[in-house]
Amino acid sequence: MEIRPIISALLRSKTGAVLIAMQVALTLAILSNAGYVVQDRLAVAARPTGADEENVFFTRWYAFREGVDIPAMLDRDLELIRAIPGVRSVATANMAPLTQSGWNLGVSRHQDAEREETFNTAFYFTSESLVDALGLELVQGRDFRPDEVQLVEPSIANIEPKHAILTRALAEQLFPDESEYVGKTAFLGDSQFEVVGVVERLQSPWAQLERRGEASMIVPLRQLVAGAAFMVRSEPGQQARVQSDVEAALSKAMEGRVHLGTTTLSEARANRYRTHHAMAWLLLSVMGLLLLVTASGIIGMASLWVNQRRKQIGIRRAIGARRSDILRYFLVENFLVTSLGIAVGIVLALLLNQLLIQTIDAARLPLSHLLIGAAVLWLLGFGAALGPAWRAARIPPAVATRSV
Amino acid sequence: MFSYYLNLGLRSLRRNPLLTLLMVLTLAVGVAASMSTLTVLRAMSGDPIPHKSDRLFVVQVDNDPADTAADAEPSDHLSWLDAKELLSAGDGLRRSAMYAVGGVIEMQDGSNQLVSGMAVTRDFFAMFEVPFRFGGAWTAEADTRGADEVVLSDAFARRTFGEDDPTGKTLRIMGRERTIIGVMDAWQPLPKYYWLVGGPNRFGETDDVFIPLHNALTNEQDPNGNVNCSGEGPEPGFVGLLNSECVFMQYWVELASADEREAYRGRLGAYVDAQKVLGRLPVGERSRLLDVQEWMRVQRVLGDDTILQTLLAIGFLLVCIVNTIGLLMAKFSGHAGEIGVRRALGATRRQVFQQYLVQAAVIGFAGGVLGVGLTFAGLALIARQSDEVAAVAHMDATMLLVTLCAAVGAAVLAGLLPTWRACQTLPAIQLKTQ
Repeated sequence: MEIRPIISALLRSKTGAVLIAMQVALTLAILSNAGYVVQDRLAVAARPTGADEENVFFTRWYAFREGVDIPAMLDRDLELIRAIPGVRSVATANMAPLTQSGWNLGVSRHQDAEREETFNTAFYFTSESLVDALGLELVQGRDFRPDEVQLVEPSIANIEPKHAILTRALAEQLFPDESEYVGKTAFLGDSQFEVVGVVERLQSPWAQLERRGEASMIVPLRQLVAGAAFMVRSEPGQQARVQSDVEAALSKAMEGRVHLGTTTLSEARANRYRTHHAMAWLLLSVMGLLLLVTASGIIGMASLWVNQRRKQIGIRRAIGARRSDILRYFLVENFLVTSLGIAVGIVLALLLNQLLIQTIDAARLPLSHLLIGAAVLWLLGFGAALGPAWRAARIPPAVATRSV
Repeated sequence: MFSYYLNLGLRSLRRNPLLTLLMVLTLAVGVAASMSTLTVLRAMSGDPIPHKSDRLFVVQVDNDPADTAADAEPSDHLSWLDAKELLSAGDGLRRSAMYAVGGVIEMQDGSNQLVSGMAVTRDFFAMFEVPFRFGGAWTAEADTRGADEVVLSDAFARRTFGEDDPTGKTLRIMGRERTIIGVMDAWQPLPKYYWLVGGPNRFGETDDVFIPLHNALTNEQDPNGNVNCSGEGPEPGFVGLLNSECVFMQYWVELASADEREAYRGRLGAYVDAQKVLGRLPVGERSRLLDVQEWMRVQRVLGDDTILQTLLAIGFLLVCIVNTIGLLMAKFSGHAGEIGVRRALGATRRQVFQQYLVQAAVIGFAGGVLGVGLTFAGLALIARQSDEVAAVAHMDATMLLVTLCAAVGAAVLAGLLPTWRACQTLPAIQLKTQ
């Protein structure tokens, strides 16, 4: 196949070719960057919490009247919940994964550590077993014993834990040179605590990016606040019924108590990542529209070229060109224009990525996404040009003899 | 002549219907995508109180410990220690310290519910120009005394009392019988700039109840928001919190004019120096004043996602314009013969140019009309992101008009090159090939 005549024909009517190339370039730039953002968002939203998310819910109540015997109230509530059929495990808890509010404290290996050696840690506490109630995977050590539970007045100054279960991510940050963490000690402020167990994973309520989102610890503690919050894990498939039974039992147990809310971990997940999913859908729909628009542009321009050259096609056919020659001519022409667009588009994509890095701290675009984007546009160009090229190939040689 | 061109333009829509449809669709989706994101961008970066935003300031007294990183921002809130001093100094036209409170409202029928509230001083209402439906702000005397009075938000009052005037009635809110002294009229600043820190509800509803700051303090209402303690932690209890360097309050001051900013900043510096003598505020020189717009920028009211969407939409519109240029060229090239005849009959290039630009504008207008419809769909899609975005994702008359103009503008812009090329038609050659 001779490419030179195609190029020289293109050079004779540059405008259309340049427009198509420009459109392909812009499309590639947007497509690859948007595609990367979509992939990133979906990957972030798919990270596991470490809990048995399908079967856990978190219910919060507020006993605002003064003079309530809080430990008695909690013990009675726990009894009530345990008695409900289908409840696998229940524990008091100060917060739940993915709910986006809770406690965050600084933990360090040594007393008086510098700021950079203090790790922000999601601070879960319970007077029962959160390991059971959340369905966490205990990889080292043991769960808390009942005699380890501390009863404290509600002030941050009273938080002085003696025992803790860490997540693996936090343990690795605190003790970078170790692999066995049970028995190690660390500090929360001036209070020294001992690691009794390690769980594989437990995300913080905020599920931040990277390791911070998994830097969590659990402490055996019951705070004497006028609230009652329980993490309830039900037998598979019974969550909805268990939840309504628990809510009914708790509201009957005490007059005038305010139900602050109940959320399943699945709901909390949907809520936490609502923005991520919506953004992904938005970007995907724009990407789809973009491809449609570009395809329509290529079809329009290719049809125009075919129409303008009906006569020349007829002549070529009359002097011996086969249909496949004509078909190939238009496909190669389109391939050249698309390729030019892709070459420019790769540069544009990198520039756009640079702009995104500067304005919104986006990540650097990996090469693979550029290549995938380029492949998609080649296919799109080929597919869009196929129709007009096919019609060009059907032009009969007799056209050459009509009107001069 | 224009109406004749318009007529021709309308007729030409029917010629080559597929190409025309493609162009109209392309313009419509391009304009809709950019307009729906721009609507959100505009609402989010808008000025909630335009005539006053340059003389309404957040005062950040930085009480961070001495070992704070040099490039760290001052803490968003300030401590009661500093808020108390600033309030009693009485500097500025109006001033209010405030913090978020929450609690239970006990209804007659035993149905207790949570309410969100703000503890503010009386100046709050005048400073933020809160309109009242019934009653008004509490008196200065009630302010200092910390009276058991309450101002209800419009939505909360309607939920609880319907359309009736509830002023003078009492409600048991946060453990105390409080007299309703005023009911706001609809007041929903977007964003809720008076309290931006520590909440996903920056575009949410106005708080339910507003109570006197001193009442909240004497009754030990715990802050319903972030409490940040750096350095030495507080002593236990509410009094411990008040006497600590923990920050949980916001302090707003209204100055008589924007020119007074420097002078006020100077007096704030003097206050910091005086506190330094007492051994407080080791990095207090970083304290600052931020006006409403600066404060919204520092608080990043405009999310990264909104910026990303806007960039994306503008890029998309660009692709659509390029596409329209191509399609218009294809369309106009089919008119070469007609242009040849018109030129041969005496039309100037200028006239042909005008005629085809009007044609492009007609296509743009059709795209704009369709685009307005699609913009509503786009806004609905964007609103799914979060309640915050949903609160601002509404089309108003201005944006409607802008959408139409943008579509016509984009079409005319896209039409320039094809029109110019159409004008280059040489009548002789065209007539010969007929």
